[in-house]
Amino acid sequence: MLKSTAIACGLAILGMGMPTMANAADVAPAALIIAQGGLGDGSWNDTANAGFQAGLKNTGIEGRPIESKDVAAQGEEIMRRAADGGFGLVISLEWIHGEPMEKLAVDYPDANWVIMNQTRKGDNVASVVFGEHEGSYLAGALAAQVTTDESIKGINGKPVIGVIGGVKAPGIDKFIVGYIQGAKAINPDIEVKVAYSDSFGDPAKGQQMAKAMFDEGADIVYQVAGGTGIGIIEAAKAAGAYAIGVDTDQDGMAPGNVLTSMIKRVDVAVEDIINNYADGKFPGGEVMDFGLAQNGVALSDMKHTKDMIPAAYLEKVDALKADIVDGKIEVWDVSTQGYPDFFQ
Amino acid sequence: MAEAASIGRSPLMDWFDKGIGLAFPFIVALVVAAVVLLAIGENPLDVFALMFAESFGTQRRIAATLSAATPLLFTGVATAICFRSGVFNVGVEGALVIGGLCAAFIGFTLPAALGLTLIPLAFGFAALVSAIWLLVPGFLLARYEVDEVVSTLMLNFVAFGITGYLVNGPLLSEISGNNVTPLVHEAAQLPRLMPPSTLHTGFLIGVLVVILYGVWARRTPSGFEAALVGQNKRFSSAVGISIPATIILVMVLSGVISGLGGASHALGQLHRFADGFSPGYGFTGMAVALLGRNNAIGIFLGAVLFGALASAGTTVQLFSDIPLDIVNIIEGTVMIFAVVELGRISLKRWRARR
Repeated sequence: MLKSTAIACGLAILGMGMPTMANAADVAPAALIIAQGGLGDGSWNDTANAGFQAGLKNTGIEGRPIESKDVAAQGEEIMRRAADGGFGLVISLEWIHGEPMEKLAVDYPDANWVIMNQTRKGDNVASVVFGEHEGSYLAGALAAQVTTDESIKGINGKPVIGVIGGVKAPGIDKFIVGYIQGAKAINPDIEVKVAYSDSFGDPAKGQQMAKAMFDEGADIVYQVAGGTGIGIIEAAKAAGAYAIGVDTDQDGMAPGNVLTSMIKRVDVAVEDIINNYADGKFPGGEVMDFGLAQNGVALSDMKHTKDMIPAAYLEKVDALKADIVDGKIEVWDVSTQGYPDFFQ
Repeated sequence: MAEAASIGRSPLMDWFDKGIGLAFPFIVALVVAAVVLLAIGENPLDVFALMFAESFGTQRRIAATLSAATPLLFTGVATAICFRSGVFNVGVEGALVIGGLCAAFIGFTLPAALGLTLIPLAFGFAALVSAIWLLVPGFLLARYEVDEVVSTLMLNFVAFGITGYLVNGPLLSEISGNNVTPLVHEAAQLPRLMPPSTLHTGFLIGVLVVILYGVWARRTPSGFEAALVGQNKRFSSAVGISIPATIILVMVLSGVISGLGGASHALGQLHRFADGFSPGYGFTGMAVALLGRNNAIGIFLGAVLFGALASAGTTVQLFSDIPLDIVNIIEGTVMIFAVVELGRISLKRWRARR
């Protein structure tokens, strides 16, 4: 037992493979603070760390990911220690670190600070937000095309789709409104059923709610409900219908029953920030929007469903994506614009 | 237990015994960690020196260590108070989480105009609810002999469920991208002792709790009776000590202290309640109590030790390639060898019940 721990530990270190530790033009090292869930979560933390490692490799900057079992309470001490210890760039993946970071940035004006999914003040703080509304628009557009095509297995032909949010809040409605707008762009008469599970960690409730939607004629349900969404995907599998995954590529959770996933590319964001930092162009004081144009959000590769979706539908989605990138289509962003007329 | 052992022996020997009791698991843990470090090609001495520097090297790091130790002062005492009466309460974790949520709730729902009175209100409410929380399994044990290990362990899951639901739903902060409550009012936040460190006044409250526990355990009739119940139930009954009353007393006290610990963490450290509020302070508190042999000074040292491991274990990653796993190995080994004591407790309890 002990031996295997030792071996596992050794492997972990080998696997970490710190890239070339060359002092790239005297740029101070970077720290990436891992959020709750830790490395090995197969999701948010691992994705970000992949981008972190890639960025270090590109630039030759020294850097380390920092894990803690008590990341909520220790965040401030870790970040302060990093700044005291001569780190020039501190990226935190933990949402709850936003508050202390805002204060630390004042104490350490020479260090650069990065926080995710929120905007924080400070000339040396970069806030990373993702264009979830744009990615959700494409998910809605794809779903609206598929839902009326009875030639696809499990589709009933009715123009009805659904979405389940974790909680009624602007951060979640940003996804939902984008999804509805994308669906209506394809079919103005489409009915989009909206429900909230009031929980991000209740798969059983997600399953019941999704089942109810499938029973009412929806055949595709977009999950914006974190862990509750696992139940939504389960329900899609049980009903022979479709779910749409969120945040990471969830297509493999029920191969063939997850139409696509709306992925947040936190790896792209982290790598981009490290590159900018290495070039002396750290975007301090800015809100960095990682939308479709920056490749910060995207639909999954649809490994399991691509072959059953008519190519024309996917081409239409690609065309819409190009229009959003070009600015021809503007997707409503609830987090900055408030609620639109078509969704209150 | 420790009290009984000391009869007829010189205090010096007694202290030596206690010192070994505290140090032995730690020494074994260091040896195990050294073997692992050698196996992965690191120099153990360098790593330990770095860890020591990160725990106690500068004033700031000492403050970080004490800050990490703060919740463990509460959970260590809350656990010890039951263990020394032979009540194997493993529900401190749940009571702490409940207490933390209650304190945060008071801290952000009551009007900010209440000012500093928010703090005693929040602590009082947290202590009250957590006391009731542990009164339930205490009553079940005292009245119906419902096994407290099972009931308190299960109550932890209920606590996680309730707090998880509330922080995901009704108490969720509107501006949040994560499962957190709103921040408590500024007036309800405990002041920091050594800014900019996160060490806060909750540490002093924790130390006070440890001292009061020590006084209660050694200098009061009720503390003596509670220890006697842990040593021999039949004898205790024979001399007129009510076993059920003692069980209920220690469970309620444990709840009160857990609640204070939760309130201290919510108002002093996080300033809110959040998912990941406790990484298992209640369970680490069991190791602290066992390591400290339910003795006040031992609990303080044990809490500081685990606080040091938690704070140094994280920041060494900034300056070396040592993964968090090494710290987990040290912590785990300390716990295993501290738990050697646990065998004595259950044996005693089994004897006492017969």
